[in-house]
Amino acid sequence: MAAASVALLQGTLDVIVLKTLSWGPMHGFGIARWIQQTTDDALRVEEGSLYPALYRMENRGWVRSQWRITDNKRRAKYYSLTPAGRRQLEAQRSSWSAFSAAMGRIMDATSQPA
Amino acid sequence: MSVPNDEPRWRRYLRFWRSDPAADVDDELRFHLESRVAENLAAGMSADEARRAAAERFGDVHAVERSLASLTRERETVERRLAWGQVIGQDLRYAVRQLARNPAFTAVAVLTLALGIGANTAIFSAVYSVLLRPLPYAHAGRLVELREGAQGGGSMNVTAGNYEVWRQRAPRFVALGAYWYGAYTLTGIGAPQRLFGLEASADYWRALYIPPALGRYFGPAADQPGAPHVVVLSHALWTTTFASDPHIVGRTITLNGDPYTVVGVAPAAYALSTTAPEIWVPLALTPAQRDEHADHELTVVGLVRDGVPVSDAVRDLTAVQHELAHEYPRGGIDGSIVATPLRDSVVGAVRPLMLVLFGAVGLVLLIACGNVMNLLLARAAVRRKEVAIRSALGAARRRLMMQLLTESVLLAGLGGVVGIAVAALGLHALLRASPQGIPRLFEATLNAPVLVFAALVALLCGIVFGVWPALRATRLDLQQALREGSRDSTSAVRGSMRTVLVIAEVALSLVLLVGAGLLVRSAFALQHVAPGFDPRGLLTAQVALPAARYPTDSSTMEAFERIREAVQAIPGASSVALVSRIPIAGLGMDCPVWREGSNTNIESGVDANGRSATGNYFSTMRTPLLRGRTFDASDLAGSAPVVVINETLAHWLYGSADPVGRRLAHCSGGNPKWREIVGVVADMRASGLAEAPPNEVYYPTSQMRLSAMSLVIRAAVPPASLAPAVRSAVAGVDPELAVSGVSTMEEIIARSMATSRFTTMLLGLLGLTGLVLAAVGIYGVIAYFVSQRAHEIGVRMALGATRRGVSLMVLRQGVALAAAGVAIGLVASVAATHALAGMIYGVSTHDPATFLGVAAVLLLVAALASLVPAHRATRLDPLDALRGG
Repeated sequence: MAAASVALLQGTLDVIVLKTLSWGPMHGFGIARWIQQTTDDALRVEEGSLYPALYRMENRGWVRSQWRITDNKRRAKYYSLTPAGRRQLEAQRSSWSAFSAAMGRIMDATSQPA
Repeated sequence: MSVPNDEPRWRRYLRFWRSDPAADVDDELRFHLESRVAENLAAGMSADEARRAAAERFGDVHAVERSLASLTRERETVERRLAWGQVIGQDLRYAVRQLARNPAFTAVAVLTLALGIGANTAIFSAVYSVLLRPLPYAHAGRLVELREGAQGGGSMNVTAGNYEVWRQRAPRFVALGAYWYGAYTLTGIGAPQRLFGLEASADYWRALYIPPALGRYFGPAADQPGAPHVVVLSHALWTTTFASDPHIVGRTITLNGDPYTVVGVAPAAYALSTTAPEIWVPLALTPAQRDEHADHELTVVGLVRDGVPVSDAVRDLTAVQHELAHEYPRGGIDGSIVATPLRDSVVGAVRPLMLVLFGAVGLVLLIACGNVMNLLLARAAVRRKEVAIRSALGAARRRLMMQLLTESVLLAGLGGVVGIAVAALGLHALLRASPQGIPRLFEATLNAPVLVFAALVALLCGIVFGVWPALRATRLDLQQALREGSRDSTSAVRGSMRTVLVIAEVALSLVLLVGAGLLVRSAFALQHVAPGFDPRGLLTAQVALPAARYPTDSSTMEAFERIREAVQAIPGASSVALVSRIPIAGLGMDCPVWREGSNTNIESGVDANGRSATGNYFSTMRTPLLRGRTFDASDLAGSAPVVVINETLAHWLYGSADPVGRRLAHCSGGNPKWREIVGVVADMRASGLAEAPPNEVYYPTSQMRLSAMSLVIRAAVPPASLAPAVRSAVAGVDPELAVSGVSTMEEIIARSMATSRFTTMLLGLLGLTGLVLAAVGIYGVIAYFVSQRAHEIGVRMALGATRRGVSLMVLRQGVALAAAGVAIGLVASVAATHALAGMIYGVSTHDPATFLGVAAVLLLVAALASLVPAHRATRLDPLDALRGG
């Protein structure tokens, strides 16, 4: 388990959730668990903050929700990506790549400013 | 499907009906926390630990719940709006299909509504333009017309002296503008032209400010006696006479023979009516005028200071006026101020007229709505089955009503659209027919407020006449309706509403027709008023002699005599006279008169109007000389002062005694100048035909000289044909003289009745529209009655009823309905015709002949409208009727 935890940038939660849902429909707890597992708990998300993010994205039409029965026979609300959500994820992915590449170049820079 | 153990069972059912967002949020978060606890337990924590760790990891549950609740509300609002849009869209499409399926019904309903809405919109555009629109001035809301309360009651214009005092002692007014009328002759540009002008103070422009179209207005420096003459032109005069000359400012023009420099052009907005001023020149009160406290001549408009209540400003001014009343007890003022918002003083006189028209056109709309409602009710009966089926398929009553209302509102909307076209035509006709005297009417257009009005009226109509049929159509016993098919089993109830509607329509149209009838009767009465002279074959024209060219009394007298002789020489002119002001056109100088020997205090005098006339004036007018003589060559400027009086004044002053040889004083204040009465003439109507003849005193032209006189020409040929000859005859005497107001006496009388003719025409038109609509309504209900009673009629005929009997039965139904409406309408008319009190002449507002005549007309029309269905009833084949029932 990584000792360092990364403070979450505003708006990144949306991207993380969209990415999570790109694997298929998932309930809120499932999303939390997936983030935890994927990042080895490096991103300490307050799990409660997931839900406003989900609702907001539902209002924007990026995700849709549906009540279903889980494998162990409980009712849970499942979220899935809408086509608009998928487009949003793609848009975010390219800007994140550009951002992280730029950050990487800065952090790895070997020449001092002229 | 298993049910979660901890969820109350009822909640599931609740969710079946509608989603329960709060419960959903609750469920979702609980699921999350319970899953986390379960995982923690599986990892080996104790129950307490597991719960605490889960809660810690989750954060503030309540905060999350709150934010989810608000996000949910946001979403629901959006969804609800979308759903509404869909429902309305659906209803509209359905309504369009329904209306398209019944083109005849739709056309009749839309046209009826278009007539009602269009007429209302046209009249409203006039009402808006005349009554509601703010005046064009920059500070229109703070303008008041100020008049002086008179000792004998009522109010008067303001004396120049009092006006000067007001200006000095009324700090709560930004400006006190004053003016009186002045007539000017413009020469040097085409033919000499008589101009209607205002002599206005510099403050006039500050009070009644609208930015000038060109140049500037005149200020205090120009508003002084002896200052160089300046003039402001009206927009109309500038565009016509001066051909919109862009370099007009600074040009010098000749008015009354004197040079005036044009300083500016006022914008067109200053023209509040078709008789608007053409020029403004400075009032330039002389020191003598500023000391005048008895001659009430000025019209004063005050602009109240911003933030000061009008009542405060007027109270201050009243205190000043009170002092003036003490200071000048002979000034005729009682120390009070009569302040009227300027808009009221501009349009006050025509307000009742506009309101009567607006009310009448509103009645027409109600009748139109009644008809459409009847159509909808008839259709509701036909559509019972459709409604029943939709209702059986699960449509809620509210939903069905919405659907039906959408249809009626759509119908009204279509009626509104066509109605605006009707309004455009109507307004065009209205403006063409409108008399000159109604201020601001000529500017009426179908502008935004008028269109909003039309839309509101249409919407209101759609809802008002739609609700009842929709309620009716959707309140029904499903099983019965389905079982019986389209037979209307509750026709008695529904029939009664339709009956009520038709009775109301008849009553409303009776009110309209009684109003129109009274006006028509009044017009006839006016036509038979003897004016006191013979207007046929009379031509009149005004000539003014500018003081610059005719400075002395003898020069004006000589000039007028030469003009009279020149006109007299025209072939076809059999007699030519001069008078200071022709009858019908109004009073000239109205002031107190006393007979010799009576008290000469103003209070005890009676007012009489003075005119200056040549001796042959009465014979030219064919007004009989009742006693004594008229003026002759012996009545010279220097000889004994004489007058001729009219019959009314003779009776007032002397009763049945002979006034000839007695003496009276007129317009001579506290120091009477006695004049001998040499003759008595018959009365002439002085201000229109409707007003009773006033007291009149005639002076010989030699003893009362005025610079402007009217020619009265008795023609042996059609009088209008003499007009060019009259102009050239005057030009022959002096080419610089303006001849104005050339018209026949019959035209002048017609013009004086233009407003009442306009009202009569409009109300008559509205009355006829109402009558036709009511007739259609009666026809519809009786036709419905026949179709409903087909079975019964069949039975009657099978049992031996004659066609005549059947026909009479149907007719009786129609006439009975109309009779009920007539009875109600008569009662309503008694109240409603009060509104016409000031508009009718020679007939009482409760004139029995009009009331009974209109009632008879309505009953007759009702009988006629019932004839077609009655005839159809007699053509029923008893066998068909019985089988079909």
